[in-house]
Formats: sequence, structure tokens, C-alpha cells
Amino acid sequence: MSPIDRRMLYHVNWRLVGVMAALFAIGVLNLYSASGVRLGDGVQMENFYQKQLIWGAMGLVGMLAFMVFDYRRLHSVAWPMYVLTIVLLLAVPFIGKTVLGARRWLDFGLFSFQPSELAKFTMLLLGARLLSADSEKLNLRQLATVLGLGLVPALMIIKQPDLGTGMLVLLLLGGLVLFRGVKPWLFRTLCVLVPLVMPLFWFVLKDYQKRRILAFLDPATDPLGSGYHILQSEIAVGSGRIFGKGFLGGTQSQLRFLPEKHTDFAVAVFGEEWGFFGMITILSIFCAFLYQIAVVARDAKDPYGSYLAAGVFFYFFWQILINMGMVMGLMPVVGVPLPFISYGGSATLVNFSLVGLVLNVSMRRYLFKQT
Amino acid sequence: MKNLLSASSQNVPRHGATLLQFLVLGLFCLFAVRLWYLQIHLGPVFTEKSRNNQLRIEYLFAPRGFLRDRNGELLAVNEPAFALGLVREDCEDIPATLEKVAELTGLPAERVKEIYTRNKPKVKSFEPLVLAPDLTFDTIAKVEGVSVRWPGLEILSRTRRKYNYGHLLSHVLGYVSEANEAEMQADPSLSLGDFVGKQGLENRLDARLRGQKGKRLIEVDVTGRRLSEEQQGEPKAGEEIFLSIDLGLQQLGHKVLEGKSGAVIVMDPDTGEILALVSEPSYDSNMFTSGLSSAQWAQLRDDPLHPLQNRATQSVYPPGSVFKLVVAAAGLRYGMVDPKETVNCTGEVALGNHVFRCWKHSGHGAVNFQRALVESCDTYFYKLGMKLGVDRMSEFAKASGFGSVTGITLPHEKSGLIASREWKEKRYGVRWTKGEDLNMVIGQGYTVTSPLQVARYIAAVINGGKLLKPLLIRGEQPQITGQLPLTDEQAAIVKRAMVATVEDPRGTCHRVLTPGVVVGAKTGSAQVVRLTEELRRMGDAVPYKYRDHAWMAGFGEQGSKRYVVVAMVEHGMHGASGAGPVVKAMLNALFLGKKELPPQDVAGAASPTASPAARLEAVETQFPEPPVGILSPSMDGARREGDQ
Repeated sequence: MSPIDRRMLYHVNWRLVGVMAALFAIGVLNLYSASGVRLGDGVQMENFYQKQLIWGAMGLVGMLAFMVFDYRRLHSVAWPMYVLTIVLLLAVPFIGKTVLGARRWLDFGLFSFQPSELAKFTMLLLGARLLSADSEKLNLRQLATVLGLGLVPALMIIKQPDLGTGMLVLLLLGGLVLFRGVKPWLFRTLCVLVPLVMPLFWFVLKDYQKRRILAFLDPATDPLGSGYHILQSEIAVGSGRIFGKGFLGGTQSQLRFLPEKHTDFAVAVFGEEWGFFGMITILSIFCAFLYQIAVVARDAKDPYGSYLAAGVFFYFFWQILINMGMVMGLMPVVGVPLPFISYGGSATLVNFSLVGLVLNVSMRRYLFKQT
Repeated sequence: MKNLLSASSQNVPRHGATLLQFLVLGLFCLFAVRLWYLQIHLGPVFTEKSRNNQLRIEYLFAPRGFLRDRNGELLAVNEPAFALGLVREDCEDIPATLEKVAELTGLPAERVKEIYTRNKPKVKSFEPLVLAPDLTFDTIAKVEGVSVRWPGLEILSRTRRKYNYGHLLSHVLGYVSEANEAEMQADPSLSLGDFVGKQGLENRLDARLRGQKGKRLIEVDVTGRRLSEEQQGEPKAGEEIFLSIDLGLQQLGHKVLEGKSGAVIVMDPDTGEILALVSEPSYDSNMFTSGLSSAQWAQLRDDPLHPLQNRATQSVYPPGSVFKLVVAAAGLRYGMVDPKETVNCTGEVALGNHVFRCWKHSGHGAVNFQRALVESCDTYFYKLGMKLGVDRMSEFAKASGFGSVTGITLPHEKSGLIASREWKEKRYGVRWTKGEDLNMVIGQGYTVTSPLQVARYIAAVINGGKLLKPLLIRGEQPQITGQLPLTDEQAAIVKRAMVATVEDPRGTCHRVLTPGVVVGAKTGSAQVVRLTEELRRMGDAVPYKYRDHAWMAGFGEQGSKRYVVVAMVEHGMHGASGAGPVVKAMLNALFLGKKELPPQDVAGAASPTASPAARLEAVETQFPEPPVGILSPSMDGARREGDQ
């Protein structure tokens, strides 16, 4: 079977490509605005939007790279990838680079690399492989196996400390488990148990993480400390009102009251400048994006492809939920970027590549009927 | 094709696909609702917060208007003052800096900390918090010397109100001090550290004196860096105001009353302008401008002589025989007095089983209207009181401006009281008695008046019956607030009797006779408590606080110049000797250009060696409780008029 068939191009989900392109375009435009910092008379521009464009181009290459091969080949690399990930994560505490108080990076000379980023992808592959093996609803043993496999890298990542990525790994697996479904009795038990066990995580958290959660519960306690980010973000979004302050008109961002305006809080800049209509538009595009991935998951040829697409769905879904929830004051401050909107090189590369994976699944849905 | 697809898709969990779609829908609904709440429902709130983030308002202070006397003499000005402030944002170690401030200023460390904690919530972290309001040049030099090593410390230059004659005019000018929480809430244009008038003219004319602050909108970024400025209105200086007060006269009044408690008022009877309004003891208005310590405030507030009280407008006293000028006029008004008719004074009048005594126990013999006023014969007025009754006396007194405020531009003026039948029944639930008519007619009983009300009445008697609003601002349009219910002839009769009281050697006011000036006056000595005969005879040995209040109300005329002068000396005992010298001094100054003090009367209230406060204290240690026999419980009985 040739890796690329002309017919496959007909089956590429062009809608998904379209909404993704729209999101990326909005993201770059928004980064252009978020780069402006007013100093005296003029506006000084930083070049995040240019860098983001370059990363986007590289992302496009990554996307194509993830389209050309048959996704079923990934079936066999899941376990080796898992072992590699664990080894790299183990290496981090010893030879990792410390940036901003957290030891997350491995330095390979030419490039630095976060094993935790790899962990997300690995768990997606492994989860899809394990769960697609059978269509029965999960029983306790199966559930424990999947979650146990996920918990190992997740805890290692949380300890780095990187709460956001660690949680994302678990949430991704959790999403896949729900996609397959668990036995009704097990589901009911979990509904009771999970809320009981959750508070225990409190003791795993670092002080600054605890503070963020407390500040989320009551931002007024420390408006200049941990609650500051949430408050300034809410002010930015809220003051956009119906039509926004206009492109490049955001005072919260330009006067730097809004923290992390390129990365975690980038969408707050958008909310300030484009208002309710802008936010509803971007939210709709995100929903269309997720919907298209869900359609691929539904229409995939085989369960493995379906689970791969579902995994990508949850990968994006949780990030959108956590990031936008944080920006709108519905979630504590957790360092999770918003796909395509937040600035970030490797994240952009990964996002494009994962969309490529979904396209891979969608374009091959008619293929092996004839083989 | 379709068939094939569904057949081969069997292994894809159907419910899973549905779940994903529901999650998308849920995500949309959750955020759409939240966005509506944040951006539309709370949008205005957040817009305001974003503006507060971005814009700072800087106020440009408007200088407060100067106050001058009628001749242009400066009474209240502004002077530069230097304060020590701390900008928290720039300060590296606040506790250590506070210690340093205590060391530099010599203030106790706890006090500095207390000021800091009290004001911290009111001052933004990038604005200076004033720790010491008033620095000496010495301290300024010391602070400047170390300021490099103590970032955050700032010398702030502000203006402060300065009263050139702090003690002299405190009851007229009042004072300014920093606006409190309530005032700032009531007036949004006030901000922390602004000065507002709290008392006197500073208070009543605050709006005119204060001017208008200029406003500057400053756009800042998160570090406080200024990006742009927009001027929103220039500061407008407060109005300069010329008072009707004559500084020289005021000084004289202050000097004559020094060491006593009392008030003196000089008023132009034709315009209502006040040339002097002195209340003693007084306080220094400047004490308040640089922040009064609580100990200083307690001392002022608890002073037994009440220096904060303006005795000319805020204190009311029984008018004593001064009130005879009112009831005598009422007698003429209601036709119950024939000026030619005489009454025989035997020294006492019996009513029921009570005996009302004339101050002159031997009696005045046959007295007519004029002689009754000249010698202040009580018997004549007891009989007039019986005829008039409370209703007429009350009606006339009220029509003459008693029992209601004069409307002078000073805060907290007292209205005094003119009793009536209805008032007594409502207040005490007891009927008015005949004996009370007799107390009322001689200015005792329930009647209380302020010195200013008396001045207004005297002015009306000589100006054709016009009740004028007393004016404190030069050249203000005279305001007639009422008309005496007297014909010109009737007023002239009263006026003539007042002149005779001065010119007749037997007159109670003979001592204020001033060559070349037509002077008319009437004394009064108002009982504070009822003294027994025995105690009365003690004369000067009567304890200070039980002594009668001394009144003299009069006027002087010379050509077109005429002035009303009213003096009231608390516990001055006799009208003529207690208040007379005060009136005489003012008349001398007004008409003869003499500014020196008349010789002190030996029988006067004040002995120059001991202040009233000192004597009051001496008295109180001598008589811890009112001794039995000094106070007689009865409202009627013996009384006397205190001057011959």
C-alpha cells in the first residue's frame, strides 16, 4: 500500500483544516496586538507574532509529516515510546535544566526539550492502543491498568513541578476511558469516590500551587498576589463589553496590567479588544474545531483510529476548557496554554502535528475497504 | 458505500461519539454564559476597574481665599508647610524606615507606627502617606541628608492656613483642619489631606474660600510610569473676603475682657455690620491647622471655662434687667404704660403669700416710666408685669427677635428661649403662675437670650424698628428680618430713657457717660442661682460660679456715626461695674479714638492676679458641694438688682 493515494486527498477533512487555519490566523493577529507595549508616546512592538508565524510554518511541515504514513503503524510504537518517556522523565531530576524554579527541560545541546510534552503524546498513543483492543465497557481491572500506567508519568511531571501538564496527561486518559465507557456499577462508584480522593492531591501540591487555588476560590484575599492574575484577566475580558475596545486598543494589555498576555492569558487580550461578539466567535470556531475532530473519531475506519482522534479531541478539549476557564475566572491559575492562540513554539508544532494525525485518520477511512 | 462504512465502523463506540458532541455543546454553553455575565452583565463594573487601573487623577490645589478685616488688614493667609511622607512602593524596609522617621522627627516610635497603620488603607501604595504633618527646617535638613539611604521618604510641600491673630478672632473665623471621613463622603471633591472649614466663617464661607481644585488625568502603566497627561480644569483660587470686623476694635475688646469670661459685640445699627465680636476666653485657631493632638483637644474640650464656646452667639443667659427695655416697650405698645404716671416703690410687692423685693430694699418712692428704667426699679416693673401678663410679654419679645436666631453667618447659633403659657404646659405639664410673670418681667425665670440678640434689639430701638441680620462681611446688603411692633414715638421714649440712664447721676449706667457722645444704655445682672440674703451681703466673697452675670447693652451716637455696644461678663456681678468698663472702652475707641483701657473697677469681677479658672478651682475646693443655704429651691422670693 502506497503511503499516499490520490483519492485520499478527497477525503482529507478540509473543514478541520479550515477552522484550524482560522484559529491560527486569529492567534497571530491577536499576538500582534498583545505584542504592543506603550512606552511614552510610541508603541513598542515585540516580535512574538513573527516567531509564531515561523513556528506555524514548521507546524505545517509537522502536520504533513503526520499525514503521510498510515496511522496504524503507530500501534506498534506505543510501548517503546512509553519506556522512552519514563526513562527521560527519570533523567530530568538529575540532568535536567532548571528554568524559573522548575526542572522540566532536558538539554541536548542543539535543542532543549521537555519530556513532559512527549508524555502527552505517548499516553495518547498508549491509551488508544490499550482501549481500542476491545469494545466492552471497562471493568475495574482494565481501568486500574490504564490509569496506573498514566499515573506513573503524571506524578513524575507534577513533581517537577508542572501541575498543568501532569493533570493534562491524566485528563487525557480519563477522557479516553469515558469515550470507551466503563461498567455502570464502576461508573457510579467512581462518581462517589473521585470527589473523595481529589482533596488528597492537596498534599502533593507545592505551596505556590496551593496559593493559586486559594486565590481562585477568593481572589479578593490577595488582589496584588496570586489573585492578581485572575482579577486583571477578568477586568480585561469584562471591560471589553459587547464590541470590545477595538484592535490594538486594549489598555489592560498595552499598559501591562494583564500578566502573561502572550501565553496563558492571550485570549484575554482578544476579549478586551473584540468584546462579547469576538469571544463568542472564537468560542464558536473552537467548538467547530472540536466538533470536526469528534466527527473524525465517529467516522473512523477502525477503533484504533477512532481512539486516536478521540485522544486528540481530549488533548485540545481540556486545554481549551482549562485555559479559557482560567481567563474567565472559572478555574485556578494553571499554566495551560490555549491551542493556536497562546504563543509557544513547541506547543504550536505539537498542535499542528496532532491535527495532522486526525487528518491522517480521516483521509484513510475509505482506504482499507478495498485492501 | 454508506453501508460499508457503517458495517466496518461497528467497533467505534457510538456512545463515545455522542459524548464528544455533548462535551462540545457543554463547553460552548458554559463559556457563552460566563462571557455574557462578565462582558455584558458586569461589563460596566469591569470598565470602571480598567479605568481605575489606567488613569490616576492628580489634583492641583487651589489656594484658599484670604480673610481681611474691614480696613484690609490680613487675618487669615496661607503659608508653606512641609510634611514628611512615605511612598510605600518605593520603600524597601517599612518597619526600619518608620523607626528612622521617629528618630528624625523626634516623635515616639509608637506614634509613627500608629499614624502609619491608621492611614495605610486610605493611601494608595504609590502615593505618599503623611507621617509628620509639620516639619521644622531643622528636621527638613536632617531628612534631606539621609534621604538617599532611605528610599520612599519624601518631603511634601503643602500650604497651611495661618491665622495672623489666632486668639483674637477664633470665634469669628473658626478654623480649618483636614477633612474627615464623613465630610469626604458628603463632598466627592474632597480628598484625603484636604483642608475644610470646621468652625466659624471658615466653615460657613467654605465654598467661597476653598476655590476649585484643578484636575489632571494621568495615564499610567502597571509600573506607575506616566504615559500621558490631560489637564481637566485649572485650579481656581478661593475668594478673598473682607470682613466687617475692625481689627483694632476687636483687639481692644479682647484686651478688656482678658481674664474674664464674656462677650462684647459692636454693631452698626443701620446696616447690621458687626465691627467687633469678642468672646473670651478664646483659643488659638492655628492649633487646629497643623493637627491637634488628642491631649490638646481634650484639654480644650474639658476646660471648665469652655474656650471653644462663642459666648456672643452660642451661649444664652438670662438677660436680667436688660430685658426691662423689652417689657417697657411692650407696656408702651399695649398702652399699659403712661410715661407720666408714677408708681410708688416701697421696696417690695406682695403677690399671694410671696413677697417680691426691689433691689433697693428701702424703696425708690414715686417712680415714673423713665426713672424706673434709669434706676432699674423692680417694683415698677413687677406692677407692669402683672398688667401685661405672660402672653403679651412673650408675643412682644418674640416679635423683637428674641427666642429665634439672628441668622448671622456663624455655625451653631443658639436661639435662646422666650417662655409662653403653652410652652410651660407642654414642657412641665404645669400651668403658668402669676409669680412667673413677675420673674419674667425682670428678665429672670425661663428667659434666656444671646448677647447678639440683645444687640439686634438695641439696634432696632434706635434705627426705626428694623430687625437686621448681623453681617460679618463688609459691604453686604443689609437684610431686614423683622420690624419692632413699636411706633417711632414709642421707640423714642425707650431711647430717651436709655440716654437718661447714662446722663442722670443716679442712673445705673452713669459711668459710661462719654463727653461729646449721646450714649444710652441699660444694665442687667442676671442671677445664676438664687442666693440667700445672708450670702448676698458677702459681696465679693460670693463664690465665682454663683455670682450674677453682668450685662450692659447700649449705644453711642455722634453726628451720623452710631454704634450699638453690648457686653456680657459671666459672673461679673454688677452690670455697671462688671460690664460697664467694657462698654466704656469700646465707646471711647469708637468715638474718641482712645484705645487704652479704662481703669479697672475694684468691685469688678476680675481680679488681675488670678484668672477665673484659678479662682473657680479655688472655689470648688472650698465648696465641694453647693453648701446648704446658698441655693434656695423656690423660684420666687427675694431678688435684687445689682447696681446703684
